[in-house]
Amino acid sequence: MLRRATLPVIAWLCLVCAAAAQSLSFPALTGRVVDEAGLLDAAARATLTQSLAELEQKTTDQLVVVTLKSLQGTSIEDYGYQLGRRWQIGQKDKGNGVLLIVAPNERKVRIEVGYGLEGTLTDAVSRLIIENSILPRFKVGDYAGGIKRGVEDIIQVLSGDAEEWQSRAAQRPSPDSVQPAPAGAVWLAIIAVLVGLGFLIFCVVRGGAICRAILQFLFLMLLSGGRRDYSSDSGSFRGGGGSFGGGGASGSW
Amino acid sequence: MSSRCPDRSGFARVVILVPLLGLLLSGCGINNIPTDEEQAKAKWSDVQNQYQRRADLIPNLVETVKGYAQQERSVLEAVTNARARATSVQVNADTITDPEAFKKFEDAQAQLSGALGRLLAVSESYPDLKSNQNFLALQSQLEGTENRIAVARRDYIEAVRVYNTELRTFPGVIWASTLYKSNKPMQEFTVAEDVKQPPQVKF
Repeated sequence: MLRRATLPVIAWLCLVCAAAAQSLSFPALTGRVVDEAGLLDAAARATLTQSLAELEQKTTDQLVVVTLKSLQGTSIEDYGYQLGRRWQIGQKDKGNGVLLIVAPNERKVRIEVGYGLEGTLTDAVSRLIIENSILPRFKVGDYAGGIKRGVEDIIQVLSGDAEEWQSRAAQRPSPDSVQPAPAGAVWLAIIAVLVGLGFLIFCVVRGGAICRAILQFLFLMLLSGGRRDYSSDSGSFRGGGGSFGGGGASGSW
Repeated sequence: MSSRCPDRSGFARVVILVPLLGLLLSGCGINNIPTDEEQAKAKWSDVQNQYQRRADLIPNLVETVKGYAQQERSVLEAVTNARARATSVQVNADTITDPEAFKKFEDAQAQLSGALGRLLAVSESYPDLKSNQNFLALQSQLEGTENRIAVARRDYIEAVRVYNTELRTFPGVIWASTLYKSNKPMQEFTVAEDVKQPPQVKF
């Protein structure tokens, strides 16, 4: 009895250790504006969310505003790219995600740019936005105003001129190809069930130890394969699978 | 049943066993070593790219600083020399399995980081330079590149860790000692990125 219990306990301990080894903790992606530090009021959040949603509709670029209570002892650059990767902001094939990160307690701000936008929202441009639009307002304590202007500037840069704007809108993936995963999973499940049924019938007809082994193996495969979790109810917004490599700029006030 | 039509059941057995064998083998990680190797190599080329990008930015930076701070000749020369040394180190995909070549590459880049850090620190004391738009743009690009280098290095270290672990742990060690005998463990960066960060000098 005791021995049977050891294995799960060890497995559980390993899981706990793995969780502990990942030292940084990240806030949940509750929307396009994640105001952990509480710098924005409800109205400002709503306006920002609206313009961020419009941006994604026009260009598919995902811009997320996040305010943090703490950087947990690391630099904002280090925290930023990891947060972007964790949330997977930006479309997977384009990597077009941007984070505007504000850490008021460390007095740090950063524009974290995803791989696909490093050529548009360059380090120098990000720096200019921070220096000219955000920091002057943050210095006088106007966080909401600084964030608003920063977001406006980023949107302006990302929208580019009319022509580029059009071509990007044309490249927009059609609605059903945006989230192909669930449909694909359904088909995969159907095929797996059909294959399994085929084997079952075959094995019932033929019998034999090998067939039984195959059945067990398939059963185990299905069990272990069915563990992809889809974030079902994280609101209407989630990251599109983009990644980050440290592009962007930071500032402090 | 099987004695009546041995050919057909033999065929059926092959049809079932071959895919099963494939599944079992891939389940045992026969593909892990090449997969991890390719992953680590891709991360390595990322690291190289970012270092190259930094090297490309430097001549421009040196020119800009020269215009405002000619008396800092020794610092400027140190940067130019360190860059020449860093770019002269031959690097390719084999570098990562060759400890000596890897060390050479790392040392040269570390030296360049140090020289560059001194240049940026020195330029703090020239107000005209600091307000020069070109310099500001270069500075932010350089900072961004340093940051990208840090990220690329960390990604590379992680990929190498996965690959080296696969080579040494079960079941990868079986394949490493049979099928992939020529695969050598890859080198990791030894100098921590924090140590290489340019010194912060306040005037």
